[in-house]
Amino acid sequence: MERLFKNASIARADSPELEKADVLVGDDGVIKEVGKDIAGDAVSDCAGCVLVPGMFDLHVHAREPGAEHKETLATCADAALNGGITGLVLMPDTSPPIDTGNLVKSLQDLVSEASSIPMLVAGCLTKRREGEKLAGFSGMANRGVVMLTDSDRTVPCPDLLRRCMEYARDFHLVVTSHCDTPALTKAGAVNEGRVSYQLGLPGIPAISQEIVIDRDIRVAQHTGAKLHLQQISTAHALRAISDAKATGTNVTCEVSPFHLLLSEDDIEDYNTAYKLDPPLRLPTDRDALLKGLLDDTVDAIATNHAPHTEFEKAADFASAPFGVAGLETAVLSLYDRFIKNGVFGWDLLIRKYSVAPREIVGQQPVAIQEGEKANFFVFDPEGETKVDARYLKTKSHVSPFLGKALAGAIRETVLG
Amino acid sequence: MSTTSEITTEEILTPSGIEEKVAVLADGITNRCGDDDVAFVGIFTRGVTLARRVAEVLKQRGKEYPVGTLDISLYRDDFDRNGPDFPRLESSDIPFAIDGTRAILFDEVIFTGRTIRAALDGLMDYGRPRKIELAVLVDRGHRELPVQPDYVGQTIPTASNQYIQVRFQEDDGKEGVFLVTESDHE
Amino acid sequence: MSDLQPRKDLLDIESLSLEEIEYVLNNAVPFKQLFQRSVKKVPTLRGKTVLNLFYEPSTRTSSSFEVAASRLSADVTNFTVGSSSVVKGESLLDTIETLQAMRSDYIVIRHKGAGVPGIVAKHTNASVLNAGDGYHAHPTQALLDAMTFREVCPDYAGKKVVIVGDILHSRVARSTSTLFQKLGIEVGVLGPGSLIPEGRHDFMQRFASWDDVFDWGPDAVYLLRVQLERQEGQFFPGIAEYHKMYGLNSGRLSQMRERGTWLMHPGPVNRGVEVTDEAMGYEKSLISTQVENGIAVRMAVLHWLKPETQQD
Repeated sequence: MERLFKNASIARADSPELEKADVLVGDDGVIKEVGKDIAGDAVSDCAGCVLVPGMFDLHVHAREPGAEHKETLATCADAALNGGITGLVLMPDTSPPIDTGNLVKSLQDLVSEASSIPMLVAGCLTKRREGEKLAGFSGMANRGVVMLTDSDRTVPCPDLLRRCMEYARDFHLVVTSHCDTPALTKAGAVNEGRVSYQLGLPGIPAISQEIVIDRDIRVAQHTGAKLHLQQISTAHALRAISDAKATGTNVTCEVSPFHLLLSEDDIEDYNTAYKLDPPLRLPTDRDALLKGLLDDTVDAIATNHAPHTEFEKAADFASAPFGVAGLETAVLSLYDRFIKNGVFGWDLLIRKYSVAPREIVGQQPVAIQEGEKANFFVFDPEGETKVDARYLKTKSHVSPFLGKALAGAIRETVLG
Repeated sequence: MSTTSEITTEEILTPSGIEEKVAVLADGITNRCGDDDVAFVGIFTRGVTLARRVAEVLKQRGKEYPVGTLDISLYRDDFDRNGPDFPRLESSDIPFAIDGTRAILFDEVIFTGRTIRAALDGLMDYGRPRKIELAVLVDRGHRELPVQPDYVGQTIPTASNQYIQVRFQEDDGKEGVFLVTESDHE
Repeated sequence: MSDLQPRKDLLDIESLSLEEIEYVLNNAVPFKQLFQRSVKKVPTLRGKTVLNLFYEPSTRTSSSFEVAASRLSADVTNFTVGSSSVVKGESLLDTIETLQAMRSDYIVIRHKGAGVPGIVAKHTNASVLNAGDGYHAHPTQALLDAMTFREVCPDYAGKKVVIVGDILHSRVARSTSTLFQKLGIEVGVLGPGSLIPEGRHDFMQRFASWDDVFDWGPDAVYLLRVQLERQEGQFFPGIAEYHKMYGLNSGRLSQMRERGTWLMHPGPVNRGVEVTDEAMGYEKSLISTQVENGIAVRMAVLHWLKPETQQD
C-alpha cells in the first residue's frame, strides 16, 4: 500500500538543514517521490516531524540462542524498530558462541524467521571465545560475517591477537576489540576513583581498558589489519585513537549514548542500571567523548545493548551483571540532551549512527531519496516519551532512564 | 470552618504556696517515717527538684536523707502520652544502696499513673527497697492504673481539656503551679 | 527544640545530621551507665524482635548487637548465612521476602555487597541497621569511635586523629573518618601507597612516615586491622615489612607515651602486624572502652530508630 508522508522535514547526513518535503513510498516499499505538494491517499500528517534515515547499531547482544529469558531476536527487533534502528550487528557471545560457518548460518536462519529487521552476524576471533586458538574465519567469511570479535572478552595473548589480525586481513574482515585487562579489572564494579571510594565498591581503573587499546592499535598498525574499538570511555583512549588515525592507521571506534550522557557521578543509590562495561567514567571523560564525536575521532555510536532480566539486575551492585538495554533510548536520549539543545544536529547523528556504522561493516548507507528502499523513522520533536513498561519492547526493563521522560517521540519506523 | 484553640492559664499556687506544700510533704514524711532508713528518688526532671527541696527542709530539721535521680524514659509504655518522640536520656544516679530502704519516689504531678509505674520498674532494677512510697506536689486525678500517692501537696481536680503546669526556678527559670485550659472555638 | 525527624534506618554516616549524631552519642551515655547496675536490662524494646542477619562472619559485631538488643529486652534471632549456601543475587530478593514475612522490627545486616542494607531497607518496614557492607560503611563503629574519643577529649573539635593501615579496603576508615570530620576533628592517614585509595577525600592528608605523623601531633592513633589473607604479596611484600614500616612497635609506642597519645583499634587485632604485645598493654589504649561503648551506642541506635512495622 502506498503511503504519503506529508509536510515532513527530512534530515540528511551532509547538512544540519532539514529539507521540507513530502515523501511518497510505493507499495513495493521503495520511495517513489520526494518533493512538494505530492498527492496521494493514505496520508500521514508529518507537519513538525522529522524523517530520519534508519539507524544502525554495531553492538547488540540479542541473547539468542542460549539466553532467551533475557531477550530474543524477535523482541530485540521490536526494540530496535521502536528506537528508530533498522539494522544491527549481533554479537557472537551466545550459547553456543558463533565461531564456525555452520553456526553463522544457523543464526542467520533464526534471524530470517524471527526478526523484522536485517541483523548481521559477527563471528568470534577465537574458538569458543576462549582466547587460545583462531576460530574458523574462512567458513564464517563464506557465510557473510561482517566482523570478528570475542565480544566482552579480550584476546589475552598479544601473539595470538597478531595472528588473528594477520589472518583476518586476508578476508577483509574488521577485527573488533573489547579492550580490558582482567588482572586489573578483577571483581571491579565501577570506575576506580572518588566514587568507588565513596560507594565502597571495588574499582576498575581506566588503565585496564586503555593499555589494551594501546596494544591493539599497535598490533593493528604492525599487521595492517582493520581494527574497530568498542565502547571507548576515556579521554586517553581518544588521544591514542586520534594519534593513530593521524599516522594513517585503519582504526575506527564507537561510543555508547550512555557514556556520552552520564558519568560516575550519576550513579544513584547503588542502582545497577548504571553498572556498565566499560564503567561510567569521569565527567571530563564524558565531555571529551562528546568532543571526540564532534571532531570525528569517534566514528560511530553503538549502544552495547546488553539486556538482563530484572531479577538478575536486582542483585547487589558488586554482584549484578554488567550492561543494560539501550536500543530504545539511544536516539531519544541523544535528542533530549544534544540535538534539542543545539549541541549538534541530526546530520551528525545520521553520520555517526547510520552512515559510519554501515560503512564499517561494508553496508550501503541509507538515505531518504527517490529510488531508495524506505528506511527511516518519523520523529516528533514536540512529543515526549516516558520510558516505562508501556513504551519498552525489550524484555529487559532496566535502564538509567527508566521512569524518566525524554524529549521527543519516535512515531513510527518505516522499513520497506 | 476553622478551629482555633484558646489557652487560658490560671495560677493555682504562688511561689510561697509551693513552699507551703513542700513543707506539707516534709511534715507527712516526718510523721510517718520515724527513724526508718529512708531514701529519696526523684523522677527526672522536676521530681528531682522536688525531692531535693523536701530533703533540704528535712535537713534543716535534722534529718538527712540521700537523694537519687531516676530517668524513666526507657521504662515508658506505649500508652504514655507524656513521652516525647526523641527523649533526651539522662543518666540515672542512685549513688547509695537502696536494698532494704524505705524509698520515696518524687514527681511533681501524678496523672494517669503510668510514669510512676515506669518508675517502680526502673527503681526495682536498681535494687530491692523494703518499701516504696510516692510523694507528689500535685495530684490532678484521671488515674489509668491502680497507683496512688502516699504524700500529696495539693489535689487539684482537672477536666480532660486541662493540665497542670509546674514551674520550678531551678528547671524553668520561673516559679508557680498553673492550671492550663485549652478550649476549642469554631 | 528538636528538629529531629523519625528515621527508620541507619545505613551510613553521610546521611546523618549533626543533631542526630549528637542525640545518639548523648543518649549512649545513660545506656553505658546501666552496665554498672546488676540488672543491666531495661524493658524498652520488650516485645520487639531484632534479627541479626550476618552474611559475613563476625563474632564481635554480631555479639555486640545481640547484647545490645538483649539489654533492651528485645527478642533476638541470629542468622548467620554461610556464603556457600547463599546463591548470588537470587537469595537477596528472596531473602527480603522472607524477612518481610518474619515481621521483624529491626534487622541488623552485614553483607559483603556494598549497598545491600539500603536495598533491604527499601523493601522492608523493619528498621535496618548496617553492620558493615562491603568497603562502604560501618556506621555504628564510627559512632562508638566518636563516643570513645569524646570521652577522653571532651573538647574534641580541632583535635587530630591519624588512621593507620589498609584504608583502601576499610569501611571503618570511611565511616569513622567521615564522622570525625563532621565533628570538626582533623583526620590524617598513614599506610602503604598500595592501600591508600587515590579517590579518598582530599582533606585527609597523607603522611609518609610515623615521624611525619608525630610531627603533626595527633591526639589519637587509630590502627586498622591488616587483612593478611588478602594483602600479603599482593599489596605489600609481607608482614615483616608492614610491621617495620607501619606497625606500632616499641619506639613508636614510646613516642605515643611521651605525648600522651590515645590508641584506638576496631578489632580484632593482629599481634605482630599492626601492634606488638607491648602496645596491647598501653595505658592509654581505648580498645576495650571501644568494645564497651559499642554496646551502649548500639542500644542508643536501637532506641532511636523508628521501624514502620507498627503500622500493620
